[in-house]
Amino acid sequence: MQDIWRLITTWGTSPEFNMGLDEALLLEGDQPTLRLYTWSPDALSLGWFQKATQVSEIESASATVRRLTGGGAIHHEGELTFSISCPQAHPLYRGPVGPSYARIHGAIILALRQIGLPARLRGEEPLTSDNPASSMCFHHSTPLDVAWNGRKGVGSAQRRKAGRVLHHGSIKVSSTPLEGSIATFENASEEHTAQSFAPLLLEHMRQHLGLQLVPSVPSREERELAEDLGARYSTDEWIRQR
Amino acid sequence: MRPDDRRYATTHEWAKIDGDSVIIGITDFAIDELCNGNEGDLVYCDLPEVGRMVEIGETFGEIESVKAVSDLQAPITGEVVEVNPVIEDHLQVLAEDTWGKGWMVRIRSKAPNLDHMLDAAAYEEHVAAAH
Repeated sequence: MQDIWRLITTWGTSPEFNMGLDEALLLEGDQPTLRLYTWSPDALSLGWFQKATQVSEIESASATVRRLTGGGAIHHEGELTFSISCPQAHPLYRGPVGPSYARIHGAIILALRQIGLPARLRGEEPLTSDNPASSMCFHHSTPLDVAWNGRKGVGSAQRRKAGRVLHHGSIKVSSTPLEGSIATFENASEEHTAQSFAPLLLEHMRQHLGLQLVPSVPSREERELAEDLGARYSTDEWIRQR
Repeated sequence: MRPDDRRYATTHEWAKIDGDSVIIGITDFAIDELCNGNEGDLVYCDLPEVGRMVEIGETFGEIESVKAVSDLQAPITGEVVEVNPVIEDHLQVLAEDTWGKGWMVRIRSKAPNLDHMLDAAAYEEHVAAAH
């Protein structure tokens, strides 16, 4: 049986809307949903438990939000961002957290290899992009992270709430001064932007994960909820709650 | 078999009546889902302040592993009267002594009743289906 998912793409949407829509889909989504998106303006997102005072990059960022998902800070610029929201009982997410990353990252790796990047799961070898003193997600790695050329190129994190999962991920097309020394598309065999890479990623998600992705847009109720929920993501109270 | 002196939530919290209050923790299954056998992967646990009122089903805290943040849901309604002080600095106690020293909060309820939760046998079936 085909696994039918909604596919929502929003290019150049605001940090508040991006976070608000992901939360709306986590709370209210009645069908598994894959979102692909980019950010305008570019923004720094803090991990749920990060202390704002320990992320000096906030001072240089165009905008800042705090994600619902864990992990380190990410500068959302020059990247294809994805989110998945679905029941925790879905076969992709059922059971321990680790294998769920391996499944999703497996599809991403195939798409990256198609454009000539030697992507793989990091495994036990540390990366040259690792930097214990940094607060940035891409400067820390685990065995299940996606890396190529000795550096981390995909960052992802999950939130599990009331039997549902929100999985955030960032696939780096290029680096920025806030997030240097990471794996990017620089040495790919084809030139790609976040948007031009999206169809390749979707094809491998269809094939590798067995998903039937049905293009969709957020319903009016989802948009309204996204706007309501999203408004708080960039407030000082929200960002500096830790 | 997990202890049969307590009840279990489908969201993997356990609850044990102790006098006029209920002790709450999370199960070995929940911990293993988050850290996949490596208890060092647990990095943070946020628990409520003493005095907070929680409703059944409400998020009373959060636990973070290297790769996921997971909400903790209150299995009963009542007032948080005690929070395990050990957890903040010794997260590994959750895995080392899940059913004892790894308790998270104590909630005082007017009439503690856990009949709506699963017994140990039913929880075994629930987690078997979740794999």
